[in-house]
Amino acid sequence: MKQRLLLSCILLLAANALAAQTTLQDTIPETVVTATGTEHLLKDAPVQTEVVTRRMLDSYGGRSLEDILSGLTASFAFNEDDMGSQMQLGGLGNSYILILIDGKRIHGDVGGENDLALIDPQTIEKIEIVKGASSALYGSDAIAGVVNIITRKHRQEGLLVENSTRYGSYNDIRQHNSVGIKSGRWTSLTNFNYQHSDGWQNTSVEHTSSSEPPVTDSRNMTVNRHTNAQIAEQLTFAAGDNLELYLGGTWYGKRIYRPSGKYAHYDVHTYDLQYRNASASAGGKWKVNATDVVTFDLDWNRHAYMYYFTATTLVEDYELSKGTLYYPYYPYLPDQTQMQSDQRRTMASVKGIFHLPAGNLLSAGAEYRYDWLYSPTRVEGNIVSDWTAAVYAQDEWSHDFDASHSMHLAAGTRLTWNGAFGVKLTPKASAMLALGLPWRIRLNWSQGFKTPTPKELHYRYIRQMSGTYLYLGNQSLRPQTSNYFSLGGEYNRAGLNITLTGYYNMVKDMITLVTIPNYEAPAEYIIQYDPYRVRQYANIDDARTMGIDLNARYTTGEWSFGLGYSYLDTDANQYDSDHDRMKKVTIDGTAHHRGNCFTSWNHRFSPGYRLGAGLYGRVSSTRYYQIDGNGKGYQIWRIATNHDFDFIPSTDCRLEAGVDNIFNYVDRTPHGLHLGTTTPGTTVYVALTLRFKSGKKIGKFYNTINNNINSNQNEQN
Amino acid sequence: MSRIRIMTAVVLAALTLGFTSCDPIGKNQYNYNTYQKAVNQTVNKNKKNDKAILLVAFGSTWQQAFDAFDSTVEAYKQAFPGYDVFLSFSSAICINRAAAGENVEPRNFYAPPFWLTAFAQKGVQYKEVVVQSLQVIPGEEYTRVINYIKDFANNANGDLDDDYLANVELKLGTPLLQDPEADVKATAKALNDLYKSQAAGNIVAFMGHGNPDSYDTYKANIRYTQLEEALQTLSPNYFVGTVDMMENFKTHVYERMAAAGLNTSNKKVYLHPLMSISGDHGHNDMAGDDTPEKFEGKSFTFADLLAEANEEGEVEDCSWKVFFGANGSGFVCNDNTIIDKGLLELPTVRQIWMNHTQAAIDGEPLDYYHSKNPEE
Repeated sequence: MKQRLLLSCILLLAANALAAQTTLQDTIPETVVTATGTEHLLKDAPVQTEVVTRRMLDSYGGRSLEDILSGLTASFAFNEDDMGSQMQLGGLGNSYILILIDGKRIHGDVGGENDLALIDPQTIEKIEIVKGASSALYGSDAIAGVVNIITRKHRQEGLLVENSTRYGSYNDIRQHNSVGIKSGRWTSLTNFNYQHSDGWQNTSVEHTSSSEPPVTDSRNMTVNRHTNAQIAEQLTFAAGDNLELYLGGTWYGKRIYRPSGKYAHYDVHTYDLQYRNASASAGGKWKVNATDVVTFDLDWNRHAYMYYFTATTLVEDYELSKGTLYYPYYPYLPDQTQMQSDQRRTMASVKGIFHLPAGNLLSAGAEYRYDWLYSPTRVEGNIVSDWTAAVYAQDEWSHDFDASHSMHLAAGTRLTWNGAFGVKLTPKASAMLALGLPWRIRLNWSQGFKTPTPKELHYRYIRQMSGTYLYLGNQSLRPQTSNYFSLGGEYNRAGLNITLTGYYNMVKDMITLVTIPNYEAPAEYIIQYDPYRVRQYANIDDARTMGIDLNARYTTGEWSFGLGYSYLDTDANQYDSDHDRMKKVTIDGTAHHRGNCFTSWNHRFSPGYRLGAGLYGRVSSTRYYQIDGNGKGYQIWRIATNHDFDFIPSTDCRLEAGVDNIFNYVDRTPHGLHLGTTTPGTTVYVALTLRFKSGKKIGKFYNTINNNINSNQNEQN
Repeated sequence: MSRIRIMTAVVLAALTLGFTSCDPIGKNQYNYNTYQKAVNQTVNKNKKNDKAILLVAFGSTWQQAFDAFDSTVEAYKQAFPGYDVFLSFSSAICINRAAAGENVEPRNFYAPPFWLTAFAQKGVQYKEVVVQSLQVIPGEEYTRVINYIKDFANNANGDLDDDYLANVELKLGTPLLQDPEADVKATAKALNDLYKSQAAGNIVAFMGHGNPDSYDTYKANIRYTQLEEALQTLSPNYFVGTVDMMENFKTHVYERMAAAGLNTSNKKVYLHPLMSISGDHGHNDMAGDDTPEKFEGKSFTFADLLAEANEEGEVEDCSWKVFFGANGSGFVCNDNTIIDKGLLELPTVRQIWMNHTQAAIDGEPLDYYHSKNPEE
């Protein structure tokens, strides 16, 4: 371990030494949109925005969004398991992180976790990350931050056909296919992707108490075998010079396989997990005049989560068609499915961006959202619903004092009206001051507001791990509110960009799962399930997360270097009425220190061949949890290479190959306890991408529907 | 126009198909029939006599518990040679996990209604069916056992042969501590015979389950108190506490030990489950290593633990072993003082259940209402 640490330090020092020797050079400006909903050069954005560019994605060769975000930023933590990715940002979990695809929020969760496999890495143009509350712009969920995935668009008149196949250890297959056609006023882009992994087992040992015989041949996997596929279609029609309309739809299916062993208490499973998603969208963009734009969108999403039975299984079930009959022992047979939750969301939104006199830019919009949850076995009454309406406005004002001194202010507010929790105003204000090259500072204050989800309010389910756990919703939950403050400085000169940001996020009435005494649970459930532990959603009175983020990037000629560090501290307290005192509560998954670094090199050896190579590292200190142990700290290093061949006319050919976790670090903590990371150890991958294009490039307007990004520039790096 | 109509018809048809295909007609009955058929086959295969005993337990997923159930079935077969003996779980989760798995013989502990239906099938139709509760106290779970029999006797699903039901002899064997005097006393004696050497000079603390206060409709929790009283007539070093019974958590047990002045000489506290099998509660709540989060990995004293007691007097997330073994408790309690045996693993205690079965066979009146009349 010491040797590895030493080697890691040498690698880091070498990277920094190389950085010092290289010639400084300006980078091409990056544009961002997420923080204000309007387009800005990255350096002028009023709120610090972290960007993962397509170039970084190409160099890294990430297999999934989790892989990309944990490898290319220091901000995120993941712990992939059956229930999802266990994503964290700034100490807060997935339910506080708003994930957008082209500005639209993704839909559906299992245990509060989004299924990030919905996002095919091959379709990502770039990723923008804005930390802190963004409820004023995006509404609920945006308390820890926003991750906006900007997807690639088909911009060329003519045909685009792309195939990308990535194959890696553990039979990891990532297959992506695109067909884009642009003819006259019509554009069609069809994406299909297929993903599969055999999963892996880091340990066959179960966590057992000292009174139990040890179990060393468990069949439980660290990450289960899984397969998913998605097909998506977007059709765009330029109805006139100033109006563009679109229609879109997706279908997604996933199955997570769970093998069984011989220990009924530990590794016997009688069902796999299955997801079925679908979405439909329609909308358009109206260019009111040369500068002002109005967009309108209508979206419908479905996320269904079900059990796929692999053995005969008795469950509680209900039959709605016969006046809600209750079956305490309903037998499901192998290959049948039972619905656990069917979440459907309908959203309508309209937004305008208007340039006003005296350097003002007004963004204003309205949204309506209806959530519907059908869950015959987990919700009393089978169906619950929730609606939220909101109007918002934001004004941005910028002024250049001279060539190097400028100020950019943005202030906005959202008025939210929720069907169950009433009306709430969430303001925000931010400022960027350019203090003369190369310094900039940014100040930000924003409020967050998040109403309890229907699941947090009404859900009730049993999870059998090592013992029976009963999870309970709580109908007396209050909405969560937050105040986020940040102060950041930026140094940007000659290819070197350093940002240092401190933040303080106070979350009032934060909702989290806490263990409650069995006698506080409804007695009929205690009798029926005899749970080992009862976990219930509860408001924590007072939670604070605070931290410092450091990001440094340096690009010179063929070399790029990056360094990220994230310090996090959390302090959460719940009023303990038994003792009339505040009781400290751990925010699950908190790690004080996280870091990443990379160095990459690109060189064109001949007109027909270009080589890229990179070294990437990520480290994390111990992750803390309320129960079932803490996750160990770790460090993981990766080597990635990419090879571009230009020898087939009209066709890009790209080969990627790499080795992840080169020091073969594996966390072999027994099943039932928390892991620091679920990495299987050293893995290798190889990927081949072929992209055939015919036709000519056209203007940007028709292809920027649904997001206000000009991402062409990123491709040119 | 006609094209629009055709399109509309196609869309409507597709929608209708989409909605109905999720819920095929007759699926419910098909599943029930398929499942019941498997239970019927199991009974058919094992039928050797015209009388049957059905043992009903909550269930477990622990191997030690499976072994205890298996040996109980064997003991019953030996003791009741004229009867076919079957064992049933009432917990669906336990049934599922016991039956599945790879490289392991399926263990079919079907739910009581399925066994009873199989007993009534044509070609089997046991003349006498004895349902024996394997519960410890006549509480909520026992009430469920009674309800299974009632539903069966009343042909609640309407799928059984009424003539058969009119003639079958249905009998009910009561829980271990059914009678507040005779059963409690017999159990105390059996336990004392086993553990009197431990109780001589040291302490034996039994951990029962108990019903939550809000669900102790039949006041069956009192059996734990009665058992402790009976045991203490044999030795003052016996105690009986519970996981779920109010005012009888481990802290209350400790208070009673302290009131008797037992916590001054570092006596050993032997811990023993007072449940039919040793499962989750025995291994975790009693003998596990659970320590309140704020003390994990730190040194703490017994007084620190007591200060964490909630308003009900319970120290949450703390096993009995950690609690009684904490520095300053005045006791010694550790892995060496765990007696990890369920009551069904103790032949002399198991015999009391078997005596109840015999009493039912011998004509003890089948009283569906017994446990529905709360005691004063």
